[in-house]
Amino acid sequence: MKIAVCFKTIADYDRMSQKDWEWDEHHFVDVSFVRRIFNCFEESALEMALKLSRPLEDLPDKAELTALTVDGEQGDLFLKHLIAVGYDHAVRICSNKRLDLRFSPLSISHLISAYMNQHEHQLVIFGMQGGEGGNRQTGFLVAEQLGWPCIREVTEVIRTESPDFLKVTSRIDGAALVQIVKLPMVLVIGHSQGSAYLRIPNLKQKLDAKKKQVTLLSEHALKVDNKELLNKDKILIDLHKQRASQSCIFLEGKTARDQAQQLYDQYLKERLPL
Amino acid sequence: MTLTRRAIVDHLIDIAGQDRVITDEQVLKENSYDRYKKLETIFGIYTTPIPAAVVKLADTKQVSEVLKFLNENKVNSVARTGGTATEGGLETIVENSVVLDGSQMNQIIKIDSTNMQATAQCGVCLGDLEDRLREQGFTTGHSPQSKPLANMGGLVATRSIGQFSTLYGGIEDMVIGLETVFPNGDITRIKNVPRRACGPDIRHVIIGNEGALCYITEVTVKIYKYFPENNQFLAWALDDMSLGFKILREVMVEGYRPSVARLYDAEDGAQHSFDQFAQDKCVLMFMAEGNELIAGATAQGIAAVVGKYEECTPIDGKIIENWFNHLNWGPEKIAEERELIRKTQHLAYTTEVSGNWDCINIIYEKALKRIREDYPHMDDLTMLGGHSSHSYQTGTNLYFVYDYDVKNCKPEEEINKYHIALNALIVEETLKAGGSMVHHHGIGKYRTPWTKQEHGTAYSILKGLKDQFDPNGIMNTGTIYPVE
Repeated sequence: MKIAVCFKTIADYDRMSQKDWEWDEHHFVDVSFVRRIFNCFEESALEMALKLSRPLEDLPDKAELTALTVDGEQGDLFLKHLIAVGYDHAVRICSNKRLDLRFSPLSISHLISAYMNQHEHQLVIFGMQGGEGGNRQTGFLVAEQLGWPCIREVTEVIRTESPDFLKVTSRIDGAALVQIVKLPMVLVIGHSQGSAYLRIPNLKQKLDAKKKQVTLLSEHALKVDNKELLNKDKILIDLHKQRASQSCIFLEGKTARDQAQQLYDQYLKERLPL
Repeated sequence: MTLTRRAIVDHLIDIAGQDRVITDEQVLKENSYDRYKKLETIFGIYTTPIPAAVVKLADTKQVSEVLKFLNENKVNSVARTGGTATEGGLETIVENSVVLDGSQMNQIIKIDSTNMQATAQCGVCLGDLEDRLREQGFTTGHSPQSKPLANMGGLVATRSIGQFSTLYGGIEDMVIGLETVFPNGDITRIKNVPRRACGPDIRHVIIGNEGALCYITEVTVKIYKYFPENNQFLAWALDDMSLGFKILREVMVEGYRPSVARLYDAEDGAQHSFDQFAQDKCVLMFMAEGNELIAGATAQGIAAVVGKYEECTPIDGKIIENWFNHLNWGPEKIAEERELIRKTQHLAYTTEVSGNWDCINIIYEKALKRIREDYPHMDDLTMLGGHSSHSYQTGTNLYFVYDYDVKNCKPEEEINKYHIALNALIVEETLKAGGSMVHHHGIGKYRTPWTKQEHGTAYSILKGLKDQFDPNGIMNTGTIYPVE
């Protein structure tokens, strides 16, 4: 089985202060000085794929893993990390630098689909949403373009006795849905408890990974027309900060007991069931 | 006659009152360790004896009465405030120990802006004191990563140091006067004066005693004007640590006093994501602070020193500023770290040492080489590197950092298999090269095998202090002084 996991890196927004979010005259927020991290859902997806690729007693073949990102040179460091933890192939699609594709899931999906059309895979995995666009679309768009079924909010994937089938658990309306699905398939990973963190390579694995190459692909190599990537349907006109103001009451009691009593009398009493 | 656990508790209740003597089993367990044995405690395993009680001390008089009772009955005590110690100094290794918790002695007594001093009880959190001072335009200049949690008593007792030490010094440079209680119940006050030549500086009997000689109840420290608006960050990428040490030395010897002067090797830098800005490079960084003229001159002077070295490539100071502003850890970060460890069984530890300029690179290279060659579980290590973060006219410190995946061992075996073994190799190489085995964490209970070697012929002075002030050996047994 060949598995591709598509991931993106994002700025670590937890490390940005309110001041850092001020945009310039071009509506551009500079995040270049903030470290980048794996988007959390894709970090789960990447770890999940590593677990899925492990040979089993009944299925001794290890699945072949590809990590794929659409990014600038900064993506290579992350791809090397993925090689170190066990990915067989690391691919970076380097799109035209003049195009800002961060908020264009359609353009990204064209690039990924083009890659999948050139390189046969049975399973393509995405994270549910990214910290930047938060669009929740890329996985579905790729599935549509490939003509494959897609399951969203996946929390667990297990191999079955047959190499053509997977057992997939997903969340739907607050319940867990377990399905045996036939490949090929697109999976969109949600909140995975079992694979929340990507493993860390040891020193030897890091050293070995440095010697390996990341595959670089341009739109041209993928036979994607630059025009397809232009996001003409949306033009940024202005940005507004959402202001969600909330009222608050200070509890004036001298002791914790007084304050708890006030909290009960003024707020909880009328809300608690009798 | 040795008192029973019950009798100890009863006597303590007589002295301090029922409310202040805690015997709840979970509280006792949590007070039997510090941040040294992380994995064991995360999995609820407590291998050290559980103390007889935790006493929430109310005031100095009560500290005196409790200590006097413990001393007369030869009951071991462990002084504790914020609980952020990292070297096992707070572990209750003696059966029926009593934890003396000063965290409720938490009054900021005075901020004296004429004499530029602040006086606080031992249980005042440094972060709280700093907040109060900054409201008035002042700072202590002390900023260890544990600032949001650590209390003044513990910070002085462990001879702590902060991230701005290159300008402000360690806690020993900040403390002016102290109030202390000795095991016999004597309360002593060292007065607050700018300097004196009245015999040896007796503050140093107390600063760094780690609860092995006395109990610190009150601390007076210097305060400084606070000018964060003038902070300037400078950073460069370079190829090797030896050049970095050379430049660090030059900056110090030329007389510049940046508040931050740090040098990271490539491995340690990658932990902080510096590899995203300087891949496979060491990173040298400084922060200049003070009033506008001093900050400007410091930054300009450092830039001139580093500018002479073509091997150094500038890094945007904003990257370093952003990173630096997220370095402290409060309760939420500790909780997050513990949860991560529980899920991944991946741990990180450090060993901090120091050395003069002529041997610091030798220590750096030899310690890492020794680990690579002699440590039997190298395959479990996911990171091995180090940085210098506190520089002086005569030398600097080295912070060795190592991360590992815990494999094939029980939680209670982990510390011996990994941290203790790695720490030993670093300490041995440091002492061999003429450095000091502990820069700022304190000896605690796990570097005591080398206390005598560290002090050499001067050990008799250290031993004399114990004999003089704690003849019954009830003060934090096993800390600083090896158990013989």
